[in-house]
Amino acid sequence: MSAWSEAGAGQVALPYAFYVDIVTKRYFDGVDNKNLTQVLDCFAVDAVLTEVTSNTVHHGREAIAAMFEKLFSDFSDIWHGNFVLVADPDSNAVATQFTVLITPNGGEELRYENCNRFYLKDRLFQTVYVYMSGDNLLKTGDA
Amino acid sequence: MQYAPTLSRAALVTLATQDYFGRVDAKDMAGTLACFHDEALLCVQTSFVRHAGKAEIGRMFADFFDAYQSIVHRDFTCTVDAKHGRIAASFEAVLTAADGRVTRLRNTNFWRVRDGRFQEVHVYMSGDNVLV
Repeated sequence: MSAWSEAGAGQVALPYAFYVDIVTKRYFDGVDNKNLTQVLDCFAVDAVLTEVTSNTVHHGREAIAAMFEKLFSDFSDIWHGNFVLVADPDSNAVATQFTVLITPNGGEELRYENCNRFYLKDRLFQTVYVYMSGDNLLKTGDA
Repeated sequence: MQYAPTLSRAALVTLATQDYFGRVDAKDMAGTLACFHDEALLCVQTSFVRHAGKAEIGRMFADFFDAYQSIVHRDFTCTVDAKHGRIAASFEAVLTAADGRVTRLRNTNFWRVRDGRFQEVHVYMSGDNVLV
């Protein structure tokens, strides 16, 4: 079997609903409810998450966990919604546009219009790309 | 807004990468605008810029074509939702000005297609907005 590549050949298509569910009902639901275990269960151990607009790269589940711990600590309220999904079982990938309403501790609510691209290996996120309409919120964690 | 899907997976990829970006790179204004409905929206989400209607989109492309001697979009990775008439793609944009300066962007576009043409195009840029 050839090495894995984003949307590359040799991938097994999952049901269409799987891609909708992992993005909206598992990943972003976990982020909005600050459920770190639920969030991390979506990622491969060696997953890479890149915030493209600031070229910030988080390598591996531990670095991704540290990033989310900082996000959860720095913001009192987080909401992702208004999803428009492009789910593609044939390439084992899903992309989505969405709105983010997020409130820094003691601050005023911010609105972002972002997109993510998720490339899966089997049933987990292997690479994730985030584009933000404002300053990067996914900063490197302290761990 | 959800539009009735009418194009196959292959047709969506051809529309986005060849019919559209092929014509943009060739600075073919008529061909580029033929991809859009008259009342289409082109939104650069990462800078909250919206071009509404074919006239505004045409004005934006006229400035874009004038700003760069060479425009190349390449290395597409397409994500296709033929079931719902949507396609997204990541790609590199290599923009070369007349003085030789090169701007490289790693962008993502989302297209919503109605009756074979773009109803909405959403652009997410890795750097400063070049579609002003």
